Amino acid sequence: MIRIENLEKVYKTEDIETTALNGINLHVKAGEFVSIMGPSGCGKSTLLNVMGLLDKPESGSYQFMDTELLKLNDKERSNFRKKHMGFVFQNFNLIDELTVFENIELPLIYNKIPSAERKVLVDEMIDRMNIHNRSGHFPQQLSGGQQQRVAVARALVTKPKLVLADEPTGNLDSSHGNEVMELLCELNEQGTTIVMVTHSSHDASFSNRIINLKDGCVISEKINKGRTEELI
Amino acid sequence: MFKLNLKIALRNLWRHKTSSFINITGLAIGLSACLMLLFYVSYEWNFDKQAKDSGRVYQTMTNVMENSGDILFTFNGTTTALGPLLKQQLPELESVCRLGYGRIKLIANGQNSFKKTSVFAEPGIFDMYDYQFISGSPATAMSAPRSVVLTESMARILFGTADVTGKAVRYEDREELTVTGVIRDLPENSSNRFDFLMPWSLYEILDPGARDLNWNDFSYMTLVKLRAGASADLVNKRLGPMLKKYNDADQQHFLYPLGKLHLYGTFVNGKSAGGAIEQIRLFVILAGGILLIACINFMNMATAKSERRAKEVSVKKTIGADRLSLIMQFLTESMVLAAIGVVIAIALIELFLPIFNNLLSIHMEIGYFSMKIWVVIIGLVLLTGLIAGSYPAFYLSSFDPVGGLRKNIAKGGFLSVSLRQVLVTGQFCFTVMLFISTIVIYKQIQYIKNRPIGADVSVLVQIPQDGALLQKYEMYKTALLRSGAVTSVTHASSPLSHHGSNFMGISWPGMNKPANDVLFNQVHAGYDYVKTTGIKMISGRDFSKQLASDTASVLISASAAKVMNLKNPVGTQVKVFDDQLTIVGVFNDYIWDSPDRSNAPMVIRLDDKLPGVVTMRLNPDRNLQASVDAITTMTKDINPAYPVELTFLSSVYADLQKAEKILGTLSNLFGGLAIFISCLGLFGLVTYSAEQRTKEFGVRKVLGASVFSMMQLLSLSFVKMILVAICIAVPAAWMLMNRWLQQYEFHTAISWWVIGIAIVGTLLTAMLTVSLQAYKTATANPVDALKYE
Repeated sequence: MIRIENLEKVYKTEDIETTALNGINLHVKAGEFVSIMGPSGCGKSTLLNVMGLLDKPESGSYQFMDTELLKLNDKERSNFRKKHMGFVFQNFNLIDELTVFENIELPLIYNKIPSAERKVLVDEMIDRMNIHNRSGHFPQQLSGGQQQRVAVARALVTKPKLVLADEPTGNLDSSHGNEVMELLCELNEQGTTIVMVTHSSHDASFSNRIINLKDGCVISEKINKGRTEELI
Repeated sequence: MFKLNLKIALRNLWRHKTSSFINITGLAIGLSACLMLLFYVSYEWNFDKQAKDSGRVYQTMTNVMENSGDILFTFNGTTTALGPLLKQQLPELESVCRLGYGRIKLIANGQNSFKKTSVFAEPGIFDMYDYQFISGSPATAMSAPRSVVLTESMARILFGTADVTGKAVRYEDREELTVTGVIRDLPENSSNRFDFLMPWSLYEILDPGARDLNWNDFSYMTLVKLRAGASADLVNKRLGPMLKKYNDADQQHFLYPLGKLHLYGTFVNGKSAGGAIEQIRLFVILAGGILLIACINFMNMATAKSERRAKEVSVKKTIGADRLSLIMQFLTESMVLAAIGVVIAIALIELFLPIFNNLLSIHMEIGYFSMKIWVVIIGLVLLTGLIAGSYPAFYLSSFDPVGGLRKNIAKGGFLSVSLRQVLVTGQFCFTVMLFISTIVIYKQIQYIKNRPIGADVSVLVQIPQDGALLQKYEMYKTALLRSGAVTSVTHASSPLSHHGSNFMGISWPGMNKPANDVLFNQVHAGYDYVKTTGIKMISGRDFSKQLASDTASVLISASAAKVMNLKNPVGTQVKVFDDQLTIVGVFNDYIWDSPDRSNAPMVIRLDDKLPGVVTMRLNPDRNLQASVDAITTMTKDINPAYPVELTFLSSVYADLQKAEKILGTLSNLFGGLAIFISCLGLFGLVTYSAEQRTKEFGVRKVLGASVFSMMQLLSLSFVKMILVAICIAVPAAWMLMNRWLQQYEFHTAISWWVIGIAIVGTLLTAMLTVSLQAYKTATANPVDALKYE
């Protein structure tokens, strides 16, 4: 599903050049759950941003379902993103001015889904996340775990093929963290491809494959046997 | 999508109450000032344009020629002969109407008599204006000479009802007239306003001189209406040669659109050279400027808040928002704000319109039922929303999603900071310029006010010499003097403050040209003119009753003596038209008409018989009110048909500066508003800047920074911007105001202290605004600040 080849990304400030991605190669199959780990500054988040079309690399190739994405212009990238990808962030990034319902509805509005259909999809998602008693609340009125569930719901409501998660449990205590990880596993079992950046080996243990980055290069790759067997 | 944007906008407003308050207050004040000025501009602009065919109505103008062939001045007075000739010779004209200038005359229903504005006109006036008849009809209203058309309010004043057709009224206590029509009140912004209208045929009965068609007396106006499609330019081209055939005096006439006369009424060399339109342009700039200041506040606040909004933009972009939808969202926010602002603005206008009308001595109404008004209001909301919202919309929507999510948007970025600085600087530039202009206008008003009038007007009162006051003048004068209420009484053909009688027919010994080409002014006065008015004699004496020869004598002004170049004017013989007169005295020039320019040389001739005004000097030893009461009673006794209209000359003289006072008031008012809105914006910016730097200030304080040093830190950047604004505004204002002052012959200078006050005033106000917030931040508990992050 994803073929990344020789990806390079350099950040330049006035006097320093930092290489964030240094010739990365990565293949992800449909239905996989991949964790990316590594120390701070190794390029994990940059890789995730490039995969999510939020950032542009200097060189290399990024194919998604046989489409070369690095050649797309801004508008095409934006369209591709809203059709095929969902995002979950460490700090939830819900919009404070919108209620739970409206936050989840927002991607559907951008995808120009008619109002009646939107309502069905959002209600379905709210049910699935078990937050229906919170649908009229604003993000500030929810606990961290609840907020992250809303964020996951928002990422999934468009039924994306790929979910990109950037330390989804980073701001949560362990019980809420586990809840979110189980949710992601469940999604993965239903066929959604997930790429997750994490510091936590506990979280990584939920995935099929763990990729270790250092200084912008893939230094090791580990198959998580227990999960892979489950997958088979 | 729009619904969602609206929801976000409203919730955002509610959550950030301080900035919403600053934005809405600023926009509401800006919009109300702007709307008020625009309403005023439209009031002025629509002068004489109410009639359906007003575009085809023209005023006939006259160029007054000098002997040299140059045009001395241009005015709207025409002779009685012109109108009929135009009608006969020019097939392009659909209608022609001669009419007199509006005069205050007596109209009475039995014992109820009132002095109201009257006009005599030919029936053609109904073709020029769309008067709306409540009763009667334009076809018959003026067919009989002794008929009168009343306005609705005139009818109500006289009879208490508008249903008065067929009733009788008495004109000037001598003519019985029948009411043949009642029309709706004329719009305030109309040049030829009246309370009652009488037929020209009646005027020809009352003033037989008007019956013959002469080419000398320019006391009347001629209005014409062109046929549809006819060209005024072509008519004007034919007019010259055509007039030459019938009239040997080389007068020049031309047609000028009536609807333009009010705003473009200044003529130089027979060509329109602006007029009140310049003031209107000034107001439009002022209106736009104030609105712009309010818009700049919004832009600044929005971009200052950008850090807070960056996350929202990034999230939305991540989940699929394109730039256009974000731009629309931010524009919706500014439109919502502008809409709320305009609602408050309309409330403010309703509240202040009476005061504004009073200040400007106008009667402006806002027709909320007219489509046009709403087009303007909605247009203004859209425009304001667009101006205020465009920069934040394009700036905020340009954030790239990765940076925004990481929460490390470069603080402002190079462009935004510099643009914000430019905006604040521009704002204060305008403010400082208004500040300086206000002081200069005020100084000029004071300067003219302090210019000696040349007569002692403090205890002078005057009364129009109507009815019996003319025939029984001597008796009236004796009674007044005997009562002790006054110490001196005189009468003259025109009031002291306004001399309208210009002429050139004067010659004197040693005149080196065949004819005089300097315009002189003449007043016909009775005895005791000098004594009563207190004008200063340089040489010679006032007219004397004891000397019979004084009937052929004349007083001249110092400037007249100078023009005539006479060494010993007293005793010199001059010829005024056909009369040989001896100069018996020379008086110092005094102020009449425009206190800001020197007057034409003038002569005062002795003539007791011409109607005009009676002027009296109140007895300073008596109680003022008692004297006024005594005069009122005596006047009523002698002249019972007329209301007593006693005016103090000091207030008449104060009114001569009305235009400047209006300008002064407006610049005061709107200058003050501009400063207030600017400071409001400044306050908002400092608040945000303080909020952004809370942590920095906490750390600094923990490390031992003093309150003063932190206040300095926070204020300095703003003070710098204001200093730059001052550097730009001072020379610009200096130049502009110098140009404004040049139009006055007597004008003040822009002193350094004016600039000083403006600089210190602006800086002080701004510093006060900034330091309030800076002090709050600097004295906050550092622990709170550090915890906050």
